Amino acid sequence: MASEALAWDGGGAPARAQRLVLVLAGLLAAALALAASTGAVPVRAADWATLFDAQRSGSAHVLWELRLPRALLAAAVGAALGLAGAMTQGLFRNPLADPGLLGITSGAVCAVALTLTVFAGIASGLPLPWRPWALPLAAYAGALLVCFLLERVARWLTPGSVAGLLLTGLALNALAMAVVGLCTYLADDEQLRSLTFWTLGSLAGASWTVVTVLLLALAAALLAGRRLASALNALALGEAAAQHVGVDVARLRTRLVVVVALLAALAVAWCGLIGFIGLMAPHLVRGMAGADQRRVMPLAALAGALLLVLADTGARLVAMPAEVPVGILTALIGAPAFLLLLRGVARQQGGQA
Amino acid sequence: MAGTSSPLLRLDGATVALGARHFGPFTLSLAAGERVAILGPSGAGKSTLLRLMAGERAPQRGGVALDGIALARWRTAALARRRAVLPQSHAVAFAMPVELVVQLGRFALEPDRERGRIVGAALAAAQAAHLAGRRFDTLSGGEQARVQLARTMAQLWDVQGGALLVDEPLAALDPGLQLELLEAMTRFAAERGHALVAIVHDLNQALAGFQRLWLVRDGALAGDLRADAAAVPALAQLFGVELVRVDLGAERPPGVVARRPAMA
Repeated sequence: MASEALAWDGGGAPARAQRLVLVLAGLLAAALALAASTGAVPVRAADWATLFDAQRSGSAHVLWELRLPRALLAAAVGAALGLAGAMTQGLFRNPLADPGLLGITSGAVCAVALTLTVFAGIASGLPLPWRPWALPLAAYAGALLVCFLLERVARWLTPGSVAGLLLTGLALNALAMAVVGLCTYLADDEQLRSLTFWTLGSLAGASWTVVTVLLLALAAALLAGRRLASALNALALGEAAAQHVGVDVARLRTRLVVVVALLAALAVAWCGLIGFIGLMAPHLVRGMAGADQRRVMPLAALAGALLLVLADTGARLVAMPAEVPVGILTALIGAPAFLLLLRGVARQQGGQA
Repeated sequence: MAGTSSPLLRLDGATVALGARHFGPFTLSLAAGERVAILGPSGAGKSTLLRLMAGERAPQRGGVALDGIALARWRTAALARRRAVLPQSHAVAFAMPVELVVQLGRFALEPDRERGRIVGAALAAAQAAHLAGRRFDTLSGGEQARVQLARTMAQLWDVQGGALLVDEPLAALDPGLQLELLEAMTRFAAERGHALVAIVHDLNQALAGFQRLWLVRDGALAGDLRADAAAVPALAQLFGVELVRVDLGAERPPGVVARRPAMA
């Protein structure tokens, strides 16, 4: 694979991509170390050494129980969002697509909100070991539903139109958020608190279990992405032309939708709404390493992880010892960045974005 | 020509409905290695006919078969190894390098040890070797057409007796480039025994570069003729113009100049 890529990808891009992997991985490791060491309780190098001792120091305890799972969760969620963004953009053949903009994330939030309020009775009736999985499953169902609706409705209303697709996403977004609003209205005080937590987006709920599940899902999604990358590249030619070169487009779409919904739902279920990572990570990567999906997908995962670890560290530090929900921070930085991106895309396509 | 052996591609009373419009029934057969131009006024159904042949649209009634097997029964990848389609629109989402676009033609052949060599050779055959290393979205319309042609050539590079279906490839290109690409396509198809079916607007190109003409009007087949001097009256009638013949020498088919019919 590697030698093939070297032979025919043109213009020294593969070497640049390999360098970029190393640079991003190095930066991610540094960011993780920074995230684990900074915060209200100082952590020193000596504390790392006692991490696996029977008698941990207080700081090592904080490190093991709070900081490390949280930093790793930020990395895993960021990677999931970056990868989901890259896949969504490939699927919809548009650099402005993102699970958040298209309403997929809102679908997951909507399902979570319903589970927390209207269907709270059912969720609490589940046997205890199943309860932590109620939200992720509901989120997955919500995300899948929006994905399929988006495919069907946009295709039926405005065949082939990208603007139609984004507007359909906007409408589904509004619909989902209206249901979330209704849930807020119906919720009691306690439900309201947990609901607010979701909509703001926070990584404070990190635990080793959550991190493990998310990393496993991420690994599976990366493998799926690797297998689908060539077909996704062909999809850039247009659906008809992709079919002509031998891509089973319907099957490719279904597979991508299932993976994107899984990534978006897992990220939402445990961390709430964290916007713009899925939009920015693939964009940054394409700018540096080219548009070949075989490289964009893994690099977007790395870039997403890096962005969210940095954002979460910032969110914890900016008002220490209190913390700002990271979703607010990514939106504050991401929204202006999106406008810049829009300008770039409009220029490239002569105002036809 | 057709009918001497079992046809490569066969349409048997195939019909399609697009909204309120009905197309067909088309009954046609394409022999291996044959060169056919599809002609007709705008909106007559030329592209619809080509899409039927490509398998992009399923016939509502009747059938379309390649190698005697209905298109619907072909696996997508297997079909891609027998026929390639050059679309009308050349747009590619995202800023892809030229080589990657051409390489996508080899999708159904992965893993593909010959890919690097064939991508280069296809670019050269489409007179686009000098575009290697460029980004597709920075190319001009004519350059993009060459790269897309190279992509379809790469797809059928090591196939014999396949089919190359071309949807208005030359529209909006300058005359020099039109002739150059038509020649490249013809040479490519002839070397490998591929049949070539192209939607063509220029009557002279259709007469000079192809063996047969399929005339389409009002969604139906209006003629299936040899591309020679005898076809000129049918062409005049098809477009509702008067065609003045221009003699280009004994061994070449006549040229034609169109003008509005005189008021009777």
